[in-house]
Amino acid sequence: MRLGGAASGSQSSLREGNRSLVVEAIQRFGGLTQVELVGATGLSAATVSSIVKELQTAGLVDTRTTIRSGRRAQLVRLASRTGLVAGVLIGHRQLRVALGDIAHDIVAEQVLPLPDEHRVDTSLDRAALLVVELAERAGASLDEVLAIGVGLPAPVEPGTGMITVPGIMRGWDGIHIVHVMSKRLAKPVVVENDANLGALAESRFGAARGYRDSLYVRASYGIGAGIVISGQVHRGFAGTAGEIGHVQVDPQGAICRCGSRGCLDTVVGAGALLEPLRASHGSLALRDVVQMANDGDPGCRQVIADAGAAIGSVVASLAVAVNPQCVAVGGELAETGEVLIGPMRDAIRRRVLLNQIAPLEVLPAELGQRAEVLGAIALALEAAEIPLDAAETPPAAGEGADGGTQEDGDDHGVAERR
Amino acid sequence: MNERGGAPLLSMRQISKRFGAVEALSGVDFEVRAHEVVALVGDNGAGKSTLARMVSGVLQPDAGIIEIEGQQVSISSPSVAHEMRIATVFQDLALADNLDVTANLFLGHELRENGMLQDGRMEQITRDVLAKLASRIPSVRTPLSALSAGQRQSVAIARTLIGDPRLVVLDEPTAALSAVQTAEVLTHIERLRDLGLGVILISHNMTDVRAVSDRIEVLRHGRNNGSFDASRTSFEEILAAITGATHVEPGLRSVG
Repeated sequence: MRLGGAASGSQSSLREGNRSLVVEAIQRFGGLTQVELVGATGLSAATVSSIVKELQTAGLVDTRTTIRSGRRAQLVRLASRTGLVAGVLIGHRQLRVALGDIAHDIVAEQVLPLPDEHRVDTSLDRAALLVVELAERAGASLDEVLAIGVGLPAPVEPGTGMITVPGIMRGWDGIHIVHVMSKRLAKPVVVENDANLGALAESRFGAARGYRDSLYVRASYGIGAGIVISGQVHRGFAGTAGEIGHVQVDPQGAICRCGSRGCLDTVVGAGALLEPLRASHGSLALRDVVQMANDGDPGCRQVIADAGAAIGSVVASLAVAVNPQCVAVGGELAETGEVLIGPMRDAIRRRVLLNQIAPLEVLPAELGQRAEVLGAIALALEAAEIPLDAAETPPAAGEGADGGTQEDGDDHGVAERR
Repeated sequence: MNERGGAPLLSMRQISKRFGAVEALSGVDFEVRAHEVVALVGDNGAGKSTLARMVSGVLQPDAGIIEIEGQQVSISSPSVAHEMRIATVFQDLALADNLDVTANLFLGHELRENGMLQDGRMEQITRDVLAKLASRIPSVRTPLSALSAGQRQSVAIARTLIGDPRLVVLDEPTAALSAVQTAEVLTHIERLRDLGLGVILISHNMTDVRAVSDRIEVLRHGRNNGSFDASRTSFEEILAAITGATHVEPGLRSVG
């Protein structure tokens, strides 16, 4: 720093640094007033004001008048390029909602812990509220949200969002998720399997970028995979393509939720991972196992490494069928890095056929925990363009509901400020 | 999570408390381990807050034993509780509206050197604590009156982390919050647990309770009425214990 200060450009480099401070603060908090920006950056009010003007001229941010603590204030936010889309990932124990812009940059994000076997009505309700409130937090309104992409840990029918294999998520069978969500938010809604969303995101923006054919493995409370062939996600007839959690690995094993015997999920699903640790480690959550494995606990590392080997041998068989150039691995278990991925890679590399010309790459997902919501945002963006291009506007009834939800959102905004 | 053997962080045995003719608690057992979120649920007047106030030193039991890490103690006042590294967030938060975030965090425990307030250091610690909780408060110099309900709850939880606590008591932290604010507070609770603290969570919202708790303790008419592993228990089982449809002991049926 001191060296840089001695250079002739010190004034402008200081200004450059201050500019990026302001932009980072706006990115981190969504919309901020100028007064809040002063607090968040530690810069003087005059500096913030002139930087905001500069950024505004450059088209990077826009401002609008808002009210904070009863006073008029200038809300500064990133200039959203013609609208936002929401990505929602409904997991077994977590709901993740992110708002992205047209350039797939996330402008606001929130995670909500969920109970085990959470209820479909409560969870979809909360997801809808989070979308509305996040739009508010990003300094936008629900009007600017063009579409919503939803990810579920189960195979789904694309048109309705209904889960195609009963029993995988208790209480969610037969629910027309597209209908429920678009009724609450009056926006186009697309629903897709979580691993397929991860596959989409990783092949476009992540570790599998630049490969025509790739696999994405999501190792979470259950195991799923997404298949990308010639740059397109392959869903199969009922959306169950890549559901490796339901490949039989133990003909004498336990009965799975899907009704078959000895599925991969019964061997490496969350329940199966936690059970052998109960005697030695007590009652753990999956998060604990991941954290303790990263802290070097040998028992937890063993459990995850064994899971990696079991998943690896199933992925190897899938890879023989698809012949991909790359396998990206995501989901909570992948946060242990090589503990999981090492044994997976070993199992895959043992297959001679797969590694003939070049060894099949087995990589950690680059987008981490955000892979699925980024995929949901990408999918929603595609859906959002349909009404614009084909003039196929949502039904008039939807417009009325839009107004209702809007008011709802405003109410929450008021409550928040009090 | 109780893989770390040894004595529990907090152990309360056969706790009883009377307010005049009203028997608020009678023979209650309660335990919290490090790295564990224990939810305390029950109907209004079941004794949840009374029990929590004993942990934070506001009330003393008439009978019963309280142990901290195996040592029998008497939590005779809130300042004794603070010395024992027990922090509490009450339902009304007890924050000072006219002070900024930093001043609220250090209220009553200001850092001084030779009698001078260490403002810079306190602001730095405040920033660190808020970052640790992944809090979304832009400035540590904002007065509390300018914050939203959810941000105030964040400040109240952040305050508990000053003074390096090992046990945090949260009384109805998600009541009257919006969806995003609830999400933030529940994420904070997970964070406290991941930091290795014991957390006592009092709440009426079964969805929130089941989302973040390891164990759920039900109180009914001032007595224990069941202890449940949160990840293996359904809404219905817990509700049945709260309403009294199920009893831990047949003898309890005569009560109330």
